[in-house]
Parts: sequence; C-alpha cells; structure tokens
Amino acid sequence: MAKIGVFICHCGENIAGKVDTSRLAAALGDHPGVSVSVEYKYFCSDPGQESVKKAIRENHLTGVVVAACSPRMHEATFRKACAEAGLNPYLCEIANIREHCSWVHSDGDMATDKAIDITRSMVEKVKRNNMLQPIEVPVTRRAMVIGGGIAGIQAALDIASAGQEVVLVEREPSLGGHMAQLSETFPTLDCSQCIMTPRMVEAAQHPNIRLLTYAEVEHVDGYIGNFKVRVRMKSRFVHMDKCTGCGDCYLKCPVKKIPSEFDCGLGKRTAIYTPFAQSVPNNPVIDKTNCIYFKNGKCKLCQKACAADAIDFEMQDEFLELEVGAIVVATGFQVQNTAMYGEYGYGKYADVITGLQFERLASASGPTAGKILRPSDQKEPEHIVFIQCAGSRDPSKGVRYCSKICCMYTAKHAMLYAHKVQGGKTSIFYMDIRAGGKGYDEFTRRAIEEDEASYLRGRVSKVWEENGKLMVRGVDTLLGRPVEIAADMVVLATAMVAQPGAKEFAKTIGIGYDEYGFYNEAHLKLRPVESSTAGIFLAGTCQSPKDIPDSVAQASASASKVLALFSKDRLEREPVIASCNEATCAGCWGCVLACPYNAIEKKDILDRSGRVIKQVASVNPGLCQGCGTCVTFCRSNSIDLAGFTEKQIFAEVMGL
Amino acid sequence: MSEQFEPKIVAFVCTYCTYAGADLAGTSRLKYAPNVRLVRLPCTGRISPMFILKALQKGADGVLISGCHPGDCHFTHGNYHARRRWTVFRALLDFTGIPTDRVKYSWISAAEGVKFAELINTITEDIRALGPFTQYHGLIEETQSQASL
Amino acid sequence: MSIEVQYRNRAKELLSNGEVKLVVGYTGGTTPERRRPVFISSAEQVDRLVLDDLCIANLSGYLVTESLLSDEKSVAVFLRPEGIRSINILAAENQLNPDQIVIFGFEPAGNTIKALDGTNALEFSEFVVSLSENPSVSDSDPVIEKLEKMSAQERFSFWQDEFSKCIKCYACRQACPMCYCRRCIVDCNQPQWINTSPHTLGNFEWNIIRAFHLAGRCVECGNCDRACPVNIPLRLINRRMAVEARESFDHFAGLSMTQEPVLASFKKDDSETFIL
Repeated sequence: MAKIGVFICHCGENIAGKVDTSRLAAALGDHPGVSVSVEYKYFCSDPGQESVKKAIRENHLTGVVVAACSPRMHEATFRKACAEAGLNPYLCEIANIREHCSWVHSDGDMATDKAIDITRSMVEKVKRNNMLQPIEVPVTRRAMVIGGGIAGIQAALDIASAGQEVVLVEREPSLGGHMAQLSETFPTLDCSQCIMTPRMVEAAQHPNIRLLTYAEVEHVDGYIGNFKVRVRMKSRFVHMDKCTGCGDCYLKCPVKKIPSEFDCGLGKRTAIYTPFAQSVPNNPVIDKTNCIYFKNGKCKLCQKACAADAIDFEMQDEFLELEVGAIVVATGFQVQNTAMYGEYGYGKYADVITGLQFERLASASGPTAGKILRPSDQKEPEHIVFIQCAGSRDPSKGVRYCSKICCMYTAKHAMLYAHKVQGGKTSIFYMDIRAGGKGYDEFTRRAIEEDEASYLRGRVSKVWEENGKLMVRGVDTLLGRPVEIAADMVVLATAMVAQPGAKEFAKTIGIGYDEYGFYNEAHLKLRPVESSTAGIFLAGTCQSPKDIPDSVAQASASASKVLALFSKDRLEREPVIASCNEATCAGCWGCVLACPYNAIEKKDILDRSGRVIKQVASVNPGLCQGCGTCVTFCRSNSIDLAGFTEKQIFAEVMGL
Repeated sequence: MSEQFEPKIVAFVCTYCTYAGADLAGTSRLKYAPNVRLVRLPCTGRISPMFILKALQKGADGVLISGCHPGDCHFTHGNYHARRRWTVFRALLDFTGIPTDRVKYSWISAAEGVKFAELINTITEDIRALGPFTQYHGLIEETQSQASL
Repeated sequence: MSIEVQYRNRAKELLSNGEVKLVVGYTGGTTPERRRPVFISSAEQVDRLVLDDLCIANLSGYLVTESLLSDEKSVAVFLRPEGIRSINILAAENQLNPDQIVIFGFEPAGNTIKALDGTNALEFSEFVVSLSENPSVSDSDPVIEKLEKMSAQERFSFWQDEFSKCIKCYACRQACPMCYCRRCIVDCNQPQWINTSPHTLGNFEWNIIRAFHLAGRCVECGNCDRACPVNIPLRLINRRMAVEARESFDHFAGLSMTQEPVLASFKKDDSETFIL
C-alpha cells in the first residue's frame, strides 16, 4: 500500500497568497494512499527540509510530493533530502503550484482547484514511480583529437598538459592544417608559421600525445567514456622509425611538377614529398598516383638515394583499434570552390586567385618567398581588386551564412600588399565590413586610413581580360554609380565551407550536422562545444566558420570538458533512460531508426544451440539520453522510459 | 444567465521548451485562464497519441500538445518525429469526428512566456465556445465505471 | 493455358524439386463465391489450388504470424499487388527474409485476372513504383466523400454507431498482415492502454490506435474489413490514413524493401500548417 507524503509549501505569500493551502492540504489528506499532507512556510529552507526527512522516517513514506515551485528550481533539492532520509530520490516528484498556478491566476478558488488537480495527479504518478539508481559508466581516460590544425593541436596540448593521454589523428602527412598555410595573422600581423610551428613541435614531442599522421578515423563504436575507434594508418611507403628527414629522397625524385596542395597550386612538389618545409613530422610520404614506380614499375630513385633504407614500396595500410573515453572533433573547413562565379573568371584567368592563394604569395615560405607576384607572369601587380563575399551571404550561388573571417583577412591582405609593394593600389568591393572582435575594427580602420585601401560598397558583376589587365566592373552603391577598374590581380574572399565528406564523417562518428555540413553543437548558446552525442566535443571550424582566436578558445573549452569528464573513474548519469522488454519486442527496428542518438542496438536472441531465434531492440544505457521518442513509436509498447513510463503518465492524466 | 462553462483542458508539454515557457509566464506574473493542466514530459517525442485519448477518457474538453520549435529540440529530432505523428493523428481524429478545434498543437520556446499565456487564453476561449465535449462524455458515461488505468 | 493451370504446374515443379517446402494459395470455400487459404506441402495436392478473380485475401500475413519461414526454407505464396507491397513492408520491418519467398503474382484485369511477371519481391520493384504513380488511394470513395462533407458531430455519430457494434473479437488484427506484434497493446494491462470491455469508448480507442499503428503501413488489402463480423467499414479509416501519408509525406506504403517507416523518419521541412 502506498504511503505518500504531500508537502505543501506556502513560499511565503507567493503560493499561500493565492492558493488556499489549507483546503489543498485537506483535499490531498483525503486522497487514497496519502499518509501525510502538511503545509509549511518554506519547505526549501533547512527546517523545511528537515521536516520532510522526519516525516519520511516516522511514517515510512513510500513516496513524496512537494507542492511548491517549478521542478526546475528545487527538484534536485528535495530529491537529495529524500535520499538523506533513506528514500530513493526518484520517488520524489514536484507539483508546480507556483509558476504554473499561484503566480498566473487571479481567482483564488479556481487557482486552488487547479492546485488540487496538479498535486493529486503527481500523487498518482508517484504511486507508480520506481526506485531508480543513477547509471554508472566507467571512463577510459584517454582522449582522441581528430584533426591536427590549430584547434586540434590546442585541444590535444591542453588535455595532455593536464596529465591525460591523447591520441591526435591527422589525415594529412603533417600537422598544421590551414593555419600553417597563412602568412601573417590579424589583427597583430604576427607570422603564422612563427606561432604555429612551435605548437606543432610541442604536440609531436609531448610525452602524453600519441601522434598519428596520414591516418583516418574509419569507424567509431561505443559511447561516452567507452569509445572504440578504428584508425586507418595510410601507408606512407616510408618507415618513420628509419627516416631521418634528410630530404635526399625528394631532391632525387624526377616527378617535380605536381601542383602543391599546400601552396594551393601556386607551387610545385615532387611525388615523394613533405607538404612544406616545416612539416611535423618531417618524414615524407609517396604520392602513389603520381609516383613513376607505382605507375610503371620502374624508378625507385628515392629508394637508392635513401641512406637510411627507409623507403618500402610494399608497405600496406594498417589499422589500429583504439579505446578512448572522449573525442574532440577538429576536422576544420575547406575553401569553397569559386567556379560557380563564372563572371569572376576564377580558373580562367591565372591572376584571379582566392584569399588562401594570396596567403601563400604573401608567406615568406611560400612559392614566391613572400613577394606578391602575379601567377601569370611573375610581375608585381600595381593594382589589386579584392572581392569580398565571393560565396558567402549569397543564397543564389554561394552559401547563406557569413564566413566571418573574410572582412578581416581582406583588410590584412590590403595591408600586406601595401607594405610589400610601394605605391600599390588596393580596391575592395564589400557588402558590409564586419569587424567585431578585440582590436578588429581598429585593424580595418588602419587598412583604410594608414594603408590607403579604397573600400567600395557594392558587388562586382564581371571580370574580364583586356590588354593584359583584368577589367573589373562593379558598382559603388554609396555613390550610386558603376565603377570599372583596370587591375593586375583579383583576389576573391571565398566562403569557408564544410570539409568534403563532412556529412559522411559525421555519420561515421555519430554526431549531428546542419544543412551545410557543419557539425551541430548540443545547444548553440549553452552547450556550444558539446556535440549532440555525449562524450564527443567540437573545436574549430568544423562547427562553423571561425577565426583563430575563436578556434583556439573553443578547443580549450572542449579540452576542459574532456578533463572534467576524466576527473572521475566512473560517470554518473540520470537514470531517465529507455529500456526494452525483449519478450514482447517484435524487432521491427522503428525505434532504431527513430532514435536521435543511435542508442538502440539490434540484439540476437539465441537458442541453446546458438541459433538466432529472434532479433530484438536493446537500449545502450550509455548512449540513451532519455527523450522517449522510441517509446512513442513502439507499437507493442515494448520500450518504456524510466521516470516517464506509460503507467506513470496514464496515472498522472487520470489523476487530473 | 447561468454560470459560464469552464472547460477542462489537458496539456502535454516537453520540459525543455514549453514547460520552461510556462515557468517564465509564471516568473513574469502574466495572468491567464486557470483551465489548463500541464503534464510534463522530457520531449515531444515522448508524447504518445494514447495520452490524448487518455485525456479525453478522463473527460477533457480540449487537449493541447506543445514543444520546442523545429530545430530547437534538446534531443535534436524529437519534435520532428512528433510533428509527423501529430499530422497523422490529427487527420485520424478529424476523420472519426473528434473536432480538430479540441486538440491543438503549438511550438512554444522557453523564452515565449507571453506566447504561452496568450495561447492558453485563446484555446480556453475557443473551447469554451465549443462547449463541453458531450459526445465523448456520453461514451464515458456509458462505461459506467471509473476510468481504469 | 489459364493462369490457374500455369501456377499449379509451377507449384508442382517447385514442390517436387524441393525448391519450396510449402505453397500458400487459395482453394474453394464453403460457398461457390468464396475462396479460402490453403497450405499445400506436397506435389500431389496442387490440384486443390484455385485461382480466379474471387481470390482476394492478402495471404502474406501467414508467412510471419504462422512462422512459416523460421526454418529458413522457401515458401511460395499467391499474392495480389497489395500482397507484394505487404512483403516489402514486412521485409523493411525485419519480419521476414524476402529471399525465402517465391511469389505467384496476379492482378485483377476486368472480370478476370492476369499473371504478374517475376518471382522474387525485388523483381516487382518497377511494378510497385508504377502502382505508386497511379495509386488506388486517389480513387474517390463515395462513403469517404460523404463523411468528409459531414460536420464533426455527424462524423462522430457515424463512427459511434459503427464502433458500438464492435464486439472486440480482434478479427481485424488477426487478419491484418501488419499486425505481427507478439503482444498487442490491447493485451497490455499494466498499464491498461485500452478498455477491453466492449463499450463504445474502448472500441473507439481500439480502432483509432489500430488505425494509427497502420498509418503509412496499410496497403488497403481489405483483410480487416472482410474479417469484421459486424461489418464496420474499417477500410475507410485505413484509406484515410493512406491518403494522409501520401499527401503529407509522399509516402506510398510498401514501395520498397528499404523504405523507412513514415512515423520513424522525418524531414525537417515536413509541412506543419496546423501548429500554432
């Protein structure tokens, strides 16, 4: 027989001023199964909580309903008090008679009637509550960081420096990502390589970081605290333990004209190569598609040149199975291909380049050793036109969103050009100048005022070649007239878009993504670094376009989330999760499909001889977040949600 | 004139958006009609059509189902699943003669305390105008027993 | 050669060479205009098979509910187009392995029937797609039209009259190929979903919930309607659901073996005109 205690809080005058609490207490006192029905000025106060505890002990209560403020305020308080009195905390429910009743109704009688209904329905629910235990999940204290750009490196270093193990996975032969490609960085104009390479080296040498380059994550299984990750180690054809990084191999390589990915096609590389001079690790890889040996079985000049005997043409891909407790996804972005703007002539005219290509031209380690030279004739341009929003904020051709960094890097480009080419003229077509950030607006003002960048508010309609010049036709909307500029170079501020295959990769690791392929945070404002999957965190531009400071900040935030997770051996989770009755489950897999967390697995039921007799759904308690979408789908009512069972809810409704 | 009819309305709401929106209406001390009783669930995805039938079985004159706006679901997809079920179930109820005006659906975020208060007033008035759901009440009386669980 | 003879010969061949262990088909019923299911397991018995335009029951349900496929041997089954769609749904819902099923397909053609090409459910893919492009659900049903013109109150009374006849025999459930649950919610008494005593209220709830469970899954084979001993027009309610699935979600039940259930999937831009 149920012995429910009902504790009606006056909340000073907040409740008692409107609701007739004596009538409420009397009504509930007469309700079947209620042993105690009392009122008090402030149940959340210490003496209030003590009186609840005392009543639980003295009356051997089997359930507690506190009629008070919203459960979002004090559910935790009263559940804790119940636990201290020896009652399972999940046998305590809150009837919200303040926010949903006394505060919002004028008529005292009707408010009291409503309060009685609310409290009674909670009593009916509590009678059917089950004792629940928090779920404990062991935690593997090792993190995986996917992506070795600035965000990934930052996250890995933060976690490693706090004493936890990290596996850092980078799919390219070297760490560095996009930041390594940049020349100087806004708003301080410090050289990207100068601040980036020490961090790359630090990550590679850190005793707690296991660095896997030229490696890709192929499969992720498991759940928070207990992920199993399969990583493909792509064959470099160079044994890293033997290679000394001397570079004799690529000096001998006869294939020298492959467009360098790192230099965005402005420089060339060999078939055996390191992406750039400061690569970490600095062991080369063989690009199989361009290597003469792999094409026709002859050459091996690199192997002959290698004194360390490190080159092995028979090398195969290897697979690692790694167990980690948390994952930080820092897979970055790509620059949008601007081919859809036929009118800008990208790809048609060599001197129409992207912002990232301009970075390579301006970089001291770039193909021109930092000189701004036209790709077509290696001459110094006298006039450069920059076109902002070449893809961003353009729903018709490009993407709807703002790529956030282009205003700043275009201003930076104008400055670098002004510093490097005396008397060079700059014209910038823009839609708005978005320079929010520490020192950012000052920076763009400097480009305009000190480095004489000429900003024209308007769009460019066409770029064409005439007498060796790039003619740019646009409009200056502020002056309200068309503009035509004879330029020597055109730089497009292309949009930042998701990595190719970003959506497929999100499915591989089991996280959500938006319509553009950027990864979804659990909550845009309040949980911006968590993915929707517990234990997987986001850092950098894989989540949305960001600049370096934001990427680094998010990476450190992710790292701190990982460290918080690793601060205990075991995780405790709210037991509000689904479970499946295997006897009645028909195995239709509707729940499997409907679950937003891939938390429902297909389980084989075997007979004694090991033959599969049926398949049923099985909820993984580590992954389930307790939304209950599966419960509603289930036609045979085989799945139920602890804390919100069918039985409880039906009773709650019938108690109204 | 006799006393005005006070409809009984049951609302099924998700805890992250609409329940929080109702809390906000409370902390903002907005005043609205006292006819609605809320049943809190983790997510609209958990709101089974059977709940609606149970509410009617209990004698409700109207039902409200409410949750997070599309894209805002705490559980990312629960409300999208819910929306499909509602679409189908609404057509079904309509076809069997349960007026669509008696079962309403809404999106109310945790920030929309005002929308919550206004909606409660509107549907209370709408259902008051429809009067008691006598046809369904007739079915309940015919069973001559307390609704069982 | 008539289809009946043709299919009898094929059945004989499949049974004698052991390709199938059983043929599920039709045979004569208790009156001349009736046909009933028959389960033929030996080649000598194939002459009992009857096939004509009176063969209308959807036989696909037996495969699952009678566990005919549990020994992994093949079974041949006579199916109309709706039955082929049922096989697709049952395969999509993991209830059967379509490779175990040899289909003897046929469809009505005027007052007679004609054979459908193919034996494996996959071979009917194009045929099913053609059905979806010209669905029978678009056919107007005079009773539905009449119902939709009524006021809600009149519709309620219409169904109240119909459902008051229900004796909760669950023949509709037994006859339905989609009702394969090991435990039906109506048999669930902790908590009790649906009032089991045959009051109109419980009958109302039972039929509404069953229709909801069939939304996007019903192929309108009519098994439930024919099985109902008190002639409740269940097909109307199921057709309304099929129309809804089609109009709101462009979902044609049983389109393929990989079709996602309409209520376990969603699109972010599903229409929502009724949500306040």
